[in-house]
Amino acid sequence: MEKNVVLSARDIEVKFKVRSRTLTAVRNISLDLYDGETLAIVGESGSGKSVFTKTFTGMLDSNGSVTNGEILFKGQDLVKIKNDKEWEQLRGKKISTIFQDPMTSLNPVRTIGYQIIEVIMKHQGKTKTEAKKLAIELMDRVGITDAAKRFDEYPFQYSGGMRQRIVIAISLACRPEILICDEPTTALDVTIQAQIIKLIKDLQVEYKFTTVYITHDLGVVANVADKVAVMYAGQIVEYGTVEDIFYRPKHPYTWALLSSLPQLGVKGKDLYAIVGTPPSLYEEVVGDAFAPRNPYAMQIDFEEEPPFFQISKTHRAKTWLLDPRAPKVDPPIEIQNLHERLMAIAGEEGGGYHG
Amino acid sequence: MDNKNIILNVKDLEVTFNAGNKKFVAVSDVNFDVYEGETFSLVGESGSGKTTIGRAIIRINPISNGEIIFKGKKISGKISRELDKWVIRNIQMVFQDPAASLNERATIDYIVSEGLYNFHLYENEENRIRKVEKALTDVGLLQEHMTRYPHEFSGGQRQRIGIARAMIMEPSLLVADEPISALDVSIRAQVLNLLKDLQRNTGLTCIFVAHDLSVVRYISDRIAVIHKGRIVELAPTEELFKNSLHPYTLSLLSAVPLPDPEIEKNKKLIIYDEAIHDYVNFKPSWQEVKPGHWLWANEPEMVEYRKKVK
Amino acid sequence: MENKFKLVKLEEQASEHILAPNYSYWKSVFRRFFSSKVAIFMFIISAIIILMSAIYPLFVPYSPSYTPNINDFATRFIRPNLEYLFGTDNVGNSLFDAIWSGTRNSLAIAFTATAITTILGVTVGAFWGFSKRIDKFMLEVYNIAANIPFTLLVIVLMYILGRGMWQLIFALSVTSWLTTAYFIRVQVMIIRDREYNLASRCLGTPTHRIITHNILPQLISVIVTAISRDVPTFISYEVFLGYLGMGLTQSDASLGRMISDYSQYISSASYLFWLPVCISAIIAVSLYVVGQTLADASDPRTHFI
Repeated sequence: MEKNVVLSARDIEVKFKVRSRTLTAVRNISLDLYDGETLAIVGESGSGKSVFTKTFTGMLDSNGSVTNGEILFKGQDLVKIKNDKEWEQLRGKKISTIFQDPMTSLNPVRTIGYQIIEVIMKHQGKTKTEAKKLAIELMDRVGITDAAKRFDEYPFQYSGGMRQRIVIAISLACRPEILICDEPTTALDVTIQAQIIKLIKDLQVEYKFTTVYITHDLGVVANVADKVAVMYAGQIVEYGTVEDIFYRPKHPYTWALLSSLPQLGVKGKDLYAIVGTPPSLYEEVVGDAFAPRNPYAMQIDFEEEPPFFQISKTHRAKTWLLDPRAPKVDPPIEIQNLHERLMAIAGEEGGGYHG
Repeated sequence: MDNKNIILNVKDLEVTFNAGNKKFVAVSDVNFDVYEGETFSLVGESGSGKTTIGRAIIRINPISNGEIIFKGKKISGKISRELDKWVIRNIQMVFQDPAASLNERATIDYIVSEGLYNFHLYENEENRIRKVEKALTDVGLLQEHMTRYPHEFSGGQRQRIGIARAMIMEPSLLVADEPISALDVSIRAQVLNLLKDLQRNTGLTCIFVAHDLSVVRYISDRIAVIHKGRIVELAPTEELFKNSLHPYTLSLLSAVPLPDPEIEKNKKLIIYDEAIHDYVNFKPSWQEVKPGHWLWANEPEMVEYRKKVK
Repeated sequence: MENKFKLVKLEEQASEHILAPNYSYWKSVFRRFFSSKVAIFMFIISAIIILMSAIYPLFVPYSPSYTPNINDFATRFIRPNLEYLFGTDNVGNSLFDAIWSGTRNSLAIAFTATAITTILGVTVGAFWGFSKRIDKFMLEVYNIAANIPFTLLVIVLMYILGRGMWQLIFALSVTSWLTTAYFIRVQVMIIRDREYNLASRCLGTPTHRIITHNILPQLISVIVTAISRDVPTFISYEVFLGYLGMGLTQSDASLGRMISDYSQYISSASYLFWLPVCISAIIAVSLYVVGQTLADASDPRTHFI
């Protein structure tokens, strides 16, 4: 079933001026977002995942700019937007973002209720009473008990998980078409994280928006994603459905990410660890950026950047290993039979995985 | 149990912050032993008190009740300067935040040598530099890094500098306070392997404070689950994962995401509700349900647990 | 053709190398300072003024009570020309000589008082911020002392001590060091419980070394800010007190006294009034700008932008 493309990014390049040097944070990314789906962007710090999504809302730092490419959304090229006024029509209204730290996303000196109705009144032109009614409904929907009473409380009176729920409520107040979640649960405890993830999933079905989920936690990805983009050093290195990525990964970096998961660790043996550190993006990258840390690297990885090789209709990876001339290599032993091994772990863990 | 030595003994630990009506009891009724050479993990969510326990052991936080006994000597409360120095030489800590745990305005050379300077643990300048070089290469860094500043390194490298700083003192007990929580996923394995290697090579005992159960399963020998300042369950690792009994432990396990789409999308969450415990009418205590598997429970609950235990 | 598709052995340490050049704190400070054209301009101006006031009076001494031309009416009220660059005053003395001597005194007082205030304030403030016992005691002292208006206190002290350079330096320092100490105390308290300081305590580092190696280097920016505020403030106070007829003695050159004495000539020989006013303003402003820019440049966080 072909879904509609709601946003299309082509050949995006983002550069930052830092003192006298230039940092190329995003090096040529092309990506489509499908209506009603959840895309997870997986990558580590420095991979460029946050920077890339900031281009959708014009929130790059002042020393950064999109130096190439186009982002098509509802017939408009977002790269061409130059002033803040135009961005205000989009930000919060059509494309909303949720960030990692709810405390800094909320204004500490205004009540929670005020912050929600402010957004509703500004973007939807409702009166204060109408807005308050909507706000309380929203608060209720995101799981705030006693919403009417808590309407007048301040952020410091809320716990971390509740604040994030309010941030979600504010983001959804204007029924955006795309919700970008930039590591929304990294700062939260694992039990709260599970609840927030579930909340976002339920709201997505009900409010019908497209979600972009930025995270480094593969467990979260497995839970929320329909499609997954794996990013390394400013590029997408593998893209596919969530089953493609977890059950049939093809890029050595994806293999490395999966292999280094502690759940797959065997007591007494070392964990599979990726050696070294990601490359500095101040210098121009020659060849495959992952080559110096890639146990499956070939000579050509140090010389030429690999193109995308299409593996199936939904699945593609950017590695010379998929070239017909390359030797056949198996993924690391740690992730062979990944599904079976994890099913075995899930089965024996005390009581959690019934169903 | 095993014929291992007990290196650390924590009895009825209580830690309170502030006083009067602002009093906050962070940790109470905590009892556990740590065996020499093992990795003992304290797992809990934020605010559970796990970091407080770690800091009480290394004497950053004063305790309000109870005792901490290390290698047979009491190290909690007021102790002599001699004993304090002995504690510093023997117990070291690795901190959580690689961005905040190193002195930004000092070179790596100074940072790693700090402990050496304090106790003059070197014969001459050359000897000191040799020790620093070895400490750095032991953690996978390069000698040329000595003249650099912390901000020039990545998070994983900084954390390794923190480990080098602690290990150069040759401690017998290392308290690792969430050492990998702030690191990228692919770097975590590096640091975990490093800690395991150091343990294997030096016989180091490690207390690992964490909130991520999946990490803890790989690295620990025994695990204590903490909730609101109390240890609710303590057991050897596999026993805890296969045979967990306390409802909080079960909810924690169900919340941990597994990297498998089919499992995750079909998962049912277990939510923990404190109200199911009736501790007013039936006072709880710290008891074994089977050798080595401890629980914080009252009598009716213990009866249930004994029925369920495999 | 060589087979480029052969697997290559992985060099484990290859990616641990740091490619960027070594970081140097002071080099970065100066690079940031000199990247501001305004700062360079102000720096040159203050350098010129400081050098002139340091060197010129050594060759051409001046004192208001030394009036060799007082009987020669022709030397009075000469407007600025090539011989007398700033003109002459009511007793035939060169305003040029007077101003540089006056500025020299102002600067000497301001720098000395600032040095004393800073050294005393930082030392006390560092220990104050670190020790909870000292804090309890000092806070009480501070809460009382800080409520007394600074100006009033200085004036009262000058009445008691009498006029003179060292009296003025004493009065200014004794009232200001506590403010600096409090300021430093607040900063120290913010930094004190950061993880790297806890780490130092776990390693057994004694308090004084934590202060010198861990805390003070982070406070350079803050200390320079305090200095850049104190120097112009003290210059202004000297001028102000001189205007009131307090501060320096009758026989010392003082910009403030000049402004006061010459204000009566504001319509007849306006240069006599305006030149001291301008010089006071210029030196205060330029030193302030230099100080602020230096403070900003010494904050290591600005090196990474």
